[in-house]
Amino acid sequence: MNIEDLRKVHVAIPALVEDLERGRLGRRDFLRTATLLGLSAGTAYFVAGKATGGHAVGPVRAQGEPRKGGVLRIGMSVLDISDPAVYDWSEKANVARQIVEPLARVGSDNITRPHLAERWEANDDVSEWTFHLRRGVRWNNGDEFTADDVIATFERWLDPATGSSNLGRFSGLTITEGGVTRIAPGAIEKIDDHTIRFKLQRSMLAFPESLGDYPALITHRDFVRSGGNLIENPVGTGPFLLESFSVGEGAVLKKRPPSEYWGDEVYLDGIQYLDLGGDPAAQIAGLASDQVDLLYTLDIALLPAVRNMPNVKVYEKVTAIAGFARMRVDQKPFDDKRVRQAIQACIDHQRVLDLAYQGLGVKGEDHPVSPIHPEYSELPALVQDYGKAKSLLAEAGYPNGLDIEINCVADPKWEGNVGQVIAEMVAPAGIRLKVNILPGGTYWDRWTSWPFSVTQWTSRPLGIQVLDLAYRSGVPWNETGYSNPEFDRILDQAEATLDVGERRELVRRLQQMLQEDANTIVPFWTKIFTASTDRVQDYEYHVSREQHLEKVWLS
Amino acid sequence: MVIFLGKRLVYMLLTMLAVSILVFLLLEVNGEAVATKVLGPYISEEQRRLWLEANGYLRPWSVRYVEWLGRILSGDFGESIVFKVPVAGLLAQRLANTGVLGAVVLAVMVPLSIALGVLAGMREGSWLDRSISFVSVLTTSIPEFASAVLLTFVFSYWLGWLPGISMMAEGFDPVQLILPAMVLILYGFGYITRMMRASMAEVMQTAYIRAAVLKGIPFRHVVTRHALRNALIAPFTVIILQVNWLLSGVLVVEFAFAYKGFGALLLEGALNQDIYVIEACALVSVFVAVATQTVADIAYTYLNPRIRFT
Repeated sequence: MNIEDLRKVHVAIPALVEDLERGRLGRRDFLRTATLLGLSAGTAYFVAGKATGGHAVGPVRAQGEPRKGGVLRIGMSVLDISDPAVYDWSEKANVARQIVEPLARVGSDNITRPHLAERWEANDDVSEWTFHLRRGVRWNNGDEFTADDVIATFERWLDPATGSSNLGRFSGLTITEGGVTRIAPGAIEKIDDHTIRFKLQRSMLAFPESLGDYPALITHRDFVRSGGNLIENPVGTGPFLLESFSVGEGAVLKKRPPSEYWGDEVYLDGIQYLDLGGDPAAQIAGLASDQVDLLYTLDIALLPAVRNMPNVKVYEKVTAIAGFARMRVDQKPFDDKRVRQAIQACIDHQRVLDLAYQGLGVKGEDHPVSPIHPEYSELPALVQDYGKAKSLLAEAGYPNGLDIEINCVADPKWEGNVGQVIAEMVAPAGIRLKVNILPGGTYWDRWTSWPFSVTQWTSRPLGIQVLDLAYRSGVPWNETGYSNPEFDRILDQAEATLDVGERRELVRRLQQMLQEDANTIVPFWTKIFTASTDRVQDYEYHVSREQHLEKVWLS
Repeated sequence: MVIFLGKRLVYMLLTMLAVSILVFLLLEVNGEAVATKVLGPYISEEQRRLWLEANGYLRPWSVRYVEWLGRILSGDFGESIVFKVPVAGLLAQRLANTGVLGAVVLAVMVPLSIALGVLAGMREGSWLDRSISFVSVLTTSIPEFASAVLLTFVFSYWLGWLPGISMMAEGFDPVQLILPAMVLILYGFGYITRMMRASMAEVMQTAYIRAAVLKGIPFRHVVTRHALRNALIAPFTVIILQVNWLLSGVLVVEFAFAYKGFGALLLEGALNQDIYVIEACALVSVFVAVATQTVADIAYTYLNPRIRFT
């Protein structure tokens, strides 16, 4: 494999290799960007290995030969999965992804790999993507998987009536005229049964990454015609079949005949999801008495208890999951930037991490780019300064302090802790912050409308993804109401920049803009944990808690 | 007697009616809120209005109330927003589950507490009485969520004798009922025991018991044949009222052991603002409360010939 071969894959790759050799680019960043641009993961590892002189090995497998058989029992909330396009909880996608699959998949190492797509190419300014679909893939009703399925799924996503978050995710494929949003003409072009070309209105580097996000599972072309309900018609390309499903109780999946599935044979005979309710005591009790094998997630409050249990393994992962304590910039008193900056000046981020989350993570800088993202650059540390806070408040017209409220969700508990700690920290500046703990149903009903609240954002592979989903003007998940044309312009530019170093510079400016605007306090980035019994082998905990179970086996 | 029965039934119906109006006013009058719950927050105003019209929410509330009541009486409680199944079926299933748990608890708790109460009360002030009273007060003071954790730790983690959760994932498994039942029995028996003890002690002071003892009847017979029946009157009504507690008060235990019962349903419905589930559960809870009260009153007249309600 020489430089010319690499250049054929994408023009930018040789430059990346050189950066890697010169040490200007980290190995992880190289792997990430190269795979994004169409280089296969195996080749990328090989090239990286040669460039850095080390061994090019992939993730290490566990000891012991995998054994076929057994049913994996997972303790997780079982929610309604009838329409994959409108999934808003990762738990929903976890059940569904065993049945229906995405075009690309983000691995537990944060690297995106082809899945239902075999490979992809981008044009020079990354505004056109050509996807080559895998051949020989069959739906479990016998139909062949073709471009028609993908196009039908995209058309559903991009129709505002569906109410899918993918409309914002893939907004580059749409145009808005007279208040109506629709697919841009020629945006999705079927080249042949296994090739599709996507033409975006602007550059989008993270197109494959976005296809790996949990609401982007591909449904059959007749999904709507056959009732639009995955539970009643679980037609999918995945390695498992849905046997039974009951919201709030459980789901049972069984192995599909291996010859019908396009991938390697899975080891498990079946998977059983059990909804243990919201009480964490029930979750660890279930693990201890061997009634479940694996938990979806583990509250950090339970860590000490679980670590002491014999026959139980604990998994941990540093993520880009964080609680964003965000303020709506269009509601009093937060519409005045000085008020927001005053609040920001009261916060000691490391202390919030220590108090609210037992120090299990890294401190944040009040913008949504995490240290695990390739575009991250460290900004000068934010310092707690009550003098500055008080003078800003006085300037804004609140010399006697301020009375405000913050809303937190009851579950996970640490969000309430964050609210409490922030309330304590702003008190010396004369800000009286009342903390409201709301149950999930109430909070998530109107989560974008609360003046000041804590929202948990899941981990995404690239920093620009959250910037795009949450801070671009007018997108559905923009919960601060932040609207800055200059920000949007630089974001567009960043999404077209292949060179990681250059992109990092652009993203640095975005980081600074958001930090200065102080519309979101990001006190820390969390580590997440889960636990399983000793029997579960080769389970890799994912940064976004996705469950990829094809290689898991029970000893 | 019949008039008395008739009057009680009428009171029951009037109470239910009043409660149903209250539930309706609290939850169903505001059609917008219902629409938001059912359709989700991202639906446009237009679609919300269409839904409200299609489901008759734009008519005067008195008309809607009568219709709603009619539906409730014919068993149609609507469809659960969270669980996406008809509430009636869900309710029946969960009630049955809680019923099983309640039956087991009652079957163990009632004989146990009566026996302990009799033993304590027949010789008031004795060493046996003091220790039984002490244990009763102690166990009643420990809240269910604390004893649930403690018992799970002892029997599930440490000794490993019992399963830690009671999901009944593989069909009905009586072993999974033991821990939740134990927690409930431990919490509930103290109260009945002490009622029984007080009642027994009072009866043992009466003249006819003294006469029986003086006559030379063996003490066992004095207790079982003469004192017990009279002493049972007051605790009996208390026991019937415990049925009410076993329906909705058990939600902490159900939640802790992942037991899919009525209490867990109400809690999940309330936390996620599942309107139809909340309505149904509220009505059922009040019905059970009122029904048990009525049954207790009627039973009381039978047990105690000295009382006469005409």
